[in-house]
Amino acid sequence: MNPAVIVDGLIGGLQLGLLAVGLTLLYGLGGILNLAHGQIAVFGGIVGAAVLDADLGMPAAAVAAVASALALGLVLDQSIMRPVYKRRGEERILLSLLVTLGVSFVIDGVLVWRYPSEALTMRVGTGGAVDVLGITIRQGSLWASAITIVAIGAVIVFLQYTRTGRAVRSVIEDETGAQLVGVNPATVRTVIFGLSGALAGLFAVTQSMTSPVTSSSGVSYTILALIVTVVGGLGSARGALLAGVLLGVVNAVSAAEIGSYITAIILLAAAALTILLRPAGLLGTTR
Amino acid sequence: MTAALSTVDATPTRRPPWLAYAPIAVIGVLSLIVPLVVGDSRTWMGVATSGLLFACYATAFNVIFGSTGQLFLCLGALAGVAGYATPILAEDVGLPLVVALLIATALSAGLGALFSWISVRRSLGVIFTGIVTLTFSLGFGNLLLGQRDLTGGETGLRIATGADTWLRELVPVYLLFLVLLLAYLGLFQWLQRSHFGWAFRALRDDPVAAELAGIDVARYRIWAGGIGSAMLGLAGGLWAVTEGFVSPTTFAFGEVDVETLVILAFGGIGTLVGPVIGALALTVIDELLRDAGQLRVAVFGVILITLFLGFRRGVGPALADMFRRILPTSLVDRFT
Amino acid sequence: MLLEVEGLDVGYGSSTVVHGVSFHVAEGEAVAIIGSNGAGKTTTLRAIAGMLPGSAGRITFDGDEVLGEPTHVVSRRGLAYVPAERHLFPGMPIHENLSLGAHPDKPDPAQLARVFELFPRLEERRNQSAGTLSGGEQQMLAVGRALMGKPRLLILDEPTTGLAPKLATEAYDALAALRSDEGLTVLVAEQQVPLALGLADRGYVIEDGHIELSGSAADLRGNPDVQRAYLGIS
Repeated sequence: MNPAVIVDGLIGGLQLGLLAVGLTLLYGLGGILNLAHGQIAVFGGIVGAAVLDADLGMPAAAVAAVASALALGLVLDQSIMRPVYKRRGEERILLSLLVTLGVSFVIDGVLVWRYPSEALTMRVGTGGAVDVLGITIRQGSLWASAITIVAIGAVIVFLQYTRTGRAVRSVIEDETGAQLVGVNPATVRTVIFGLSGALAGLFAVTQSMTSPVTSSSGVSYTILALIVTVVGGLGSARGALLAGVLLGVVNAVSAAEIGSYITAIILLAAAALTILLRPAGLLGTTR
Repeated sequence: MTAALSTVDATPTRRPPWLAYAPIAVIGVLSLIVPLVVGDSRTWMGVATSGLLFACYATAFNVIFGSTGQLFLCLGALAGVAGYATPILAEDVGLPLVVALLIATALSAGLGALFSWISVRRSLGVIFTGIVTLTFSLGFGNLLLGQRDLTGGETGLRIATGADTWLRELVPVYLLFLVLLLAYLGLFQWLQRSHFGWAFRALRDDPVAAELAGIDVARYRIWAGGIGSAMLGLAGGLWAVTEGFVSPTTFAFGEVDVETLVILAFGGIGTLVGPVIGALALTVIDELLRDAGQLRVAVFGVILITLFLGFRRGVGPALADMFRRILPTSLVDRFT
Repeated sequence: MLLEVEGLDVGYGSSTVVHGVSFHVAEGEAVAIIGSNGAGKTTTLRAIAGMLPGSAGRITFDGDEVLGEPTHVVSRRGLAYVPAERHLFPGMPIHENLSLGAHPDKPDPAQLARVFELFPRLEERRNQSAGTLSGGEQQMLAVGRALMGKPRLLILDEPTTGLAPKLATEAYDALAALRSDEGLTVLVAEQQVPLALGLADRGYVIEDGHIELSGSAADLRGNPDVQRAYLGIS
């Protein structure tokens, strides 16, 4: 087997992990399963593509992609998600699922209708490949992985060492307990909706360095993020990162060796089996 | 539960039992107008028959989700199992059509019952049941694409069985699906009024008392999953034979499951006539949006959001009520 | 008056559990609310902490109306509520649980030292996650977390829940130490009436959602009805 395949899988997996972190944190924070997550990423991607088309350059496009996805996350949190937050328990999860499914159709429908052939493609570096320890890696992949690793590091530092990050984890652990120590879960949720949007936008940027982000890629991004989130354990950021890397490698190897249809089925089966055998996910402990 | 159901159920002893089935008869009679008016228009009969098919899907989903709260997100896949198995059994294996259809329906039923069984055994709850069945949905779609020899892959499968018979004529096929829908509605209403329906209402009203009264919830859930899936399978199999063509799109999540959700959001989940009203509304909307292309998807999205957030009186609160009562683990119940 | 409750009605859904309850806690006082299981103690405290809406009445904290404010706002006012279920953060180590208690300010090292002095066991296990602690240690952590915010009023609901008699006595010894050392104001709801009246200056007896009796701790201990119903003296 070509070691480059595994490296590709690792790089793709890191990106998947980053995409899934946003989804898993939102779920952990208050039972919001955001089925429009991939579409938010694509929204950022298409905004970035528009900026590129206007010849404003790649850095501006990347910033625009992240900022617009972040803004969309905040808008959703402050608008249609508000009635959802009023519900509790499984009722809230179900409603969030149905409403964000609706949102995903709106974003998908509008983008494909208005910009059917638009796609974000960022050609970084000279476009060629470089040799790293004897493995050929495209420059785009190198950039994408560098950005993703920095972003993952930033997310870990934020969650682990900042007071806001600690507040986020406290809400995930016990929402009532968090309120008792003065944490407002609604504020935390807004912060995470924004963060999750920004990470989705960043995912679109890094993704576009190796393959185009088209206006219709939203569904597949959402599904991949959902699979990674489930395998990592709903609500576990570390689990999402680990599952992302793991499934990224499985994805790359299986696609290269077996074929893409079977690969999709393997990934879906991984999610289904996780729920059946270990519902808390890879790192979770069943409470 | 919405008003339509509770008025039917509230006084079952005082009213003659046949009255509960009267709405079904009314639907049947009204539906006969369609072929009388547009009976020779291929377009309009096609639209109307497809509306009946979706009303059938929605009634089946009502049995699974509306009655027992199991969120199956694989309606299209369950219909598709029979939709593909019927022609494959009839043509590649050489079974008579009716036998093929029955086996295919049983296949769907078995799968649905299996999902229910898993969901009950692992006490998955709404969300995990939803995700597991969704992965099945997507996996099934990929399987259809991958097993090109058997399914024709992306291009689909042409079905010779039933060609040049009444199964391909406009009005008879319409009537076939009308009879199917009326039978489904009758079955739904019968289930609601049977021990089965009583058990689930008891469960909603007071989960603890219901369990104490010895209601075997698990068994009912599995039955509901099996019966509902059989309904999906039979409808899907019949559709395959009468259309003469199936493709992955015919049974895709984005087509079947989403439209069924929109239909029930419109008509009211768990109600007898909800699927019919919803299917009618959806058919009209679909026609209005025929030239809108991708914008149609966006409009569906707006409808879903609007309806589920409860701007239309009845649906949102009904859903909420239903869940508050169905789920014993719900936070609301902790204090009562 | 630090805390004043007047004519409070609270319920779940359509059923009212607490009817027209009035009581007060002055700065520096320790007050006990005693009553049997289901009398309405927890419901009353939850309403004070903003976890339940009241349907009638007033709750003022330091002169400000707090009834209807969300829990996190009430908490930031310096009213620390320790529920019987504790609501710790089980996956986080003790030191993180404690520093979250100091929200919204930075944890004060002096206060942390005070808490560790009060509960040395917590310092020994500061890196152990809260979920792995014993019942007694969890109760210490819950109180410690509440103290980290330097509350003006500490409200405890059944602090002896799930504790062995020896540990329950220890818990009340710690509370007594807190009172004498820092002059902390305490409101405690308790079924273990002898312990609660040992700590408190005054007490209220609540039955079926009504305040039936009130007075100094000594008066209540001497009351024949209280003796019969709660102290096992006939």
